Amino acid sequence: MPNDKVIRVDPVTRLEGHGALTIKLGSDGKVKDVQFNVGSTRFFEKFLEGRPMEEAPRITPRICGICPIPHHLASVKAVEAAWDVTPPPAAVKLRRLLIEAKQLSSHAIHFYALAAPDFVFGPFADPSVRNVAAVLKHLPDVAVQAIKLMEFGQELCRTVGAKAIHPTTAIPGGMLSPLKEDERDEWLKKVPEMLENINKTVELAKNVVNMYIDVVTKVAVTPTYYIGLVNDGKLDIYDGKVRVMDPDGKTVAEFEPKDYTNYYGEHIPGHSYATHIYYKPAGYPDGIWRANTLARCNVADEMATPLANEALKEMREVVGRPSHHTFAYHWARIIEMVQAAEWIKTLLEDPEIVSTDVKLSDVEPKAGNGVGIVEAPRGTLLHNYECDEKGIITKANLIVATNNNIAGIEKSLMDAARFVFEQKGHEKLKLPDPLVKT
Amino acid sequence: MTEQVSIALGQGSSCWGCFQSLIDIHLKLADVLPLLDIKYWQAVVDYKLSDLESYPDKSIAVGVYEGMARTEEDVHLLKTLRAKCKILIAFGTCSCFGGIPGMANFYDIEDCYDVKFRNNKTFSDGEVPSENVPPIESIVRPNRHYVDFDVYLPGCPPTSSLILTALTSLIEGKEIELPPHTVCHYCSREKKETPVPEILRPFKGNADPDRCLLEQGYICLGSATWGLCEGQCVNKGVTCRGCFGPPPPITQDHGAASISMLGSYAPLLPDELKEQVPDPIGYFWRFDYPSSHLGNMRIKREDAKNAK
Repeated sequence: MPNDKVIRVDPVTRLEGHGALTIKLGSDGKVKDVQFNVGSTRFFEKFLEGRPMEEAPRITPRICGICPIPHHLASVKAVEAAWDVTPPPAAVKLRRLLIEAKQLSSHAIHFYALAAPDFVFGPFADPSVRNVAAVLKHLPDVAVQAIKLMEFGQELCRTVGAKAIHPTTAIPGGMLSPLKEDERDEWLKKVPEMLENINKTVELAKNVVNMYIDVVTKVAVTPTYYIGLVNDGKLDIYDGKVRVMDPDGKTVAEFEPKDYTNYYGEHIPGHSYATHIYYKPAGYPDGIWRANTLARCNVADEMATPLANEALKEMREVVGRPSHHTFAYHWARIIEMVQAAEWIKTLLEDPEIVSTDVKLSDVEPKAGNGVGIVEAPRGTLLHNYECDEKGIITKANLIVATNNNIAGIEKSLMDAARFVFEQKGHEKLKLPDPLVKT
Repeated sequence: MTEQVSIALGQGSSCWGCFQSLIDIHLKLADVLPLLDIKYWQAVVDYKLSDLESYPDKSIAVGVYEGMARTEEDVHLLKTLRAKCKILIAFGTCSCFGGIPGMANFYDIEDCYDVKFRNNKTFSDGEVPSENVPPIESIVRPNRHYVDFDVYLPGCPPTSSLILTALTSLIEGKEIELPPHTVCHYCSREKKETPVPEILRPFKGNADPDRCLLEQGYICLGSATWGLCEGQCVNKGVTCRGCFGPPPPITQDHGAASISMLGSYAPLLPDELKEQVPDPIGYFWRFDYPSSHLGNMRIKREDAKNAK
C-alpha cells in the first residue's frame, strides 16, 4: 500500500534494554499495526546446558542488571526444587530481606529516573530536559530523597548478597553468609529516614496522580489477563502460588510453580526477540496477560502489610479491581514500595535474621526437574531446569518477567496509538501545568 | 563551574548492570551529573540513534560502550561511538572480554535458536523472528575485534567506586590509575600453603570462615583475577568466579592462568581432576571465552564455516 505511513521510534528511551516501536498507519488514518520490537537476545537457556546446576544462580543474574536478585533467587529455588532441598528458615528470611531491598531500589529508580521526568516536565517538554539529570538540577530535594531510597535498597542488597548487582550468597541449601549483629544494628538505625522518604514519595505520587488523573483514566486503558504470586491471597514477591485473573476480574487459576506448563503459553512473534507469554487455556492473543506492579495488585486480595494495604484500598476506590489503566502501574509501584519498606523493617527487627543457622551441609545433587518462581519488579519470573544424576543442567526454560508484558505492552500501545492518531484524544486531555517549566 | 564534558553512553547486548553500578555512586551523582553533557544514553535521556549519528566525527569527548555485540545493530552502535568519540571506554566485562553471554560461543547459533525460538517446554515449531529486528551475529566476537578502545574498565559490574574514580579522572583530564593486585590481596582469609586434597562443589559442607576457600577445596579464581572488586565475594564466604578478568596485562588468557593456578594448589592426578571438576570451560572461561586463545580458535572455526 503506497500511502501507508510507518512511524518508527528507535530506540524507545528510558527503557533499560533494547526496544523500538513501529506504528503502521493506513492512508485512511487508521492504525493498522503496532509492533514493539525487542532487538536483542543472548541465549541463556542454551548456555546453561552443561553447567553444574548450583552455578546457575551465579550465571543467570546477568540476565538483568536491575533485577539480578530475583534471578539469583528464582534460580536457587529451582535448583532446590529439583534436588528436594529445604533451606533453613533464617536463610529464607535473609533471601526475603534481599528481594524486598531490591524491590525498594528498583521501584525507586523506575518512579524517579524513568517515569518522573514525564510528569515533572510534562509530556511535551523538549527531549533535552526530559530526564533525571534535569530533575536533579530543578528539583534537588526530590532528587536527593530518590537517591537516598535507591541507596538504601542497593546497599542493603550488598550487605546481604555480597554484591548489590549480581549477588552471590544464595546457594542450594541456604545462604553462604549470615547477617552479622552489628550489620543488622547499622541497618536498623537507617530505617526511620528510609520510612520518611517513603512517605514523601507517597505524597509526591498522590499529587502526580491527581494532576494527571485524566491521563490515567483515559490513555491506554487496556483489558488483559493478569498474573502474579499470592501467598494466602496476599501479595508476595518471594514465595506462594501463581494466580491468574481474567479481564473481568475473576480468578481463573491458582497453581503451584511446578505445574506452570499447563497455564503458560509462549508465542514466538515474527518481529521481536522477546517472546509473548500468555494464559494458555484462553489461547493467543485472547489470553494475553500482564505482570508487574498493577497485575500483582489486581490478582492479590490484599497487601501483606498494613500501610500498603490501606494504600491499595485507596487506589481501588479510584481505579477499581481489576484496574486496566496502564498508567496506574506507577501508582501500584508506590504501594509495593510501601510493602517492601514495611517488610524490611519487620525482618530487621526479627531476632532470627542474625541466626548463623543459614546453610545445610548435606546437600546432594540428583537427577531432577525444578521450577523456581519469584516476583521480579517487572513481573513473575520463572526458572525451570532439568539435570542429570550429577546435577549437570540438561535443559533450561526461563520465562523472564518482561516477557509476560511484551504482548500487553503492544496491546496498550495499540490503544494509545488509536487514541492519538484516530481520535486525536491527546489534544483534548486535561493536562496540568508542569511542576517545572522549561 | 568546570566546563561540561560531553559523553555518549551506548548499550550493546547486556544486562544494564554496569550502568546500574554507575547510578549506585548515589549522592555523588549530584556532583558528577552536572559536569556531564549527555549526548546519548538511551535508558536515561530521550535522544534517538539518529541524533547520535548526526554528530560530527570526534565531536564527543567520551564514549562508553556496555555489553557485547550480539546483533548487527550492536556492531553499528559500537562503530558509531568509536567514530563520534575521542576517547572510547570498554565498560564492564562483557565489553572488555565478551562476558557471560560469550558462553553462547560454546554452541552453534542454530542450537541456540532451537531452544530460544523453535522448541521448548512452553512452545513448539516457532521460527526465528526476522521483521524489524536486527540480524543476530552467528558468533560473539570480542568488541576489540571491531574497534580500538582507549580504556578498559572490567568488572561484572565494575564497582561504583571504580566508576567514580574513572569518571573523575576523565573529567579532570588525568590518567586513570588502577592498582594491579589480584583478589587475594583483598581477601581476609588465611592461606597456610597446604595442598588441596579434594575439589569440592560449593554447596558441600560448611567452609571454615577464616581460611582460604581454595585451600579447603572450593574452586576460587581469586589468585588469577584482577582485584578491582576489592574482594566483595570472598569476604562474604563466596568463591571467586573471575568476573573482573585477568590482572594487567589484561590480554593474558585468564582461563589458562586459572587452570595453572589450580594445578599448583591441587596436586591431583589428571584423571582425578577431570572427575572432580565437572565443567572446566564454564568455570575458567565463564567471563572471557570470546577473547581467550580457545575462544579465538572457536571464532576461526566459525569464519571457516561461513567462508564455505
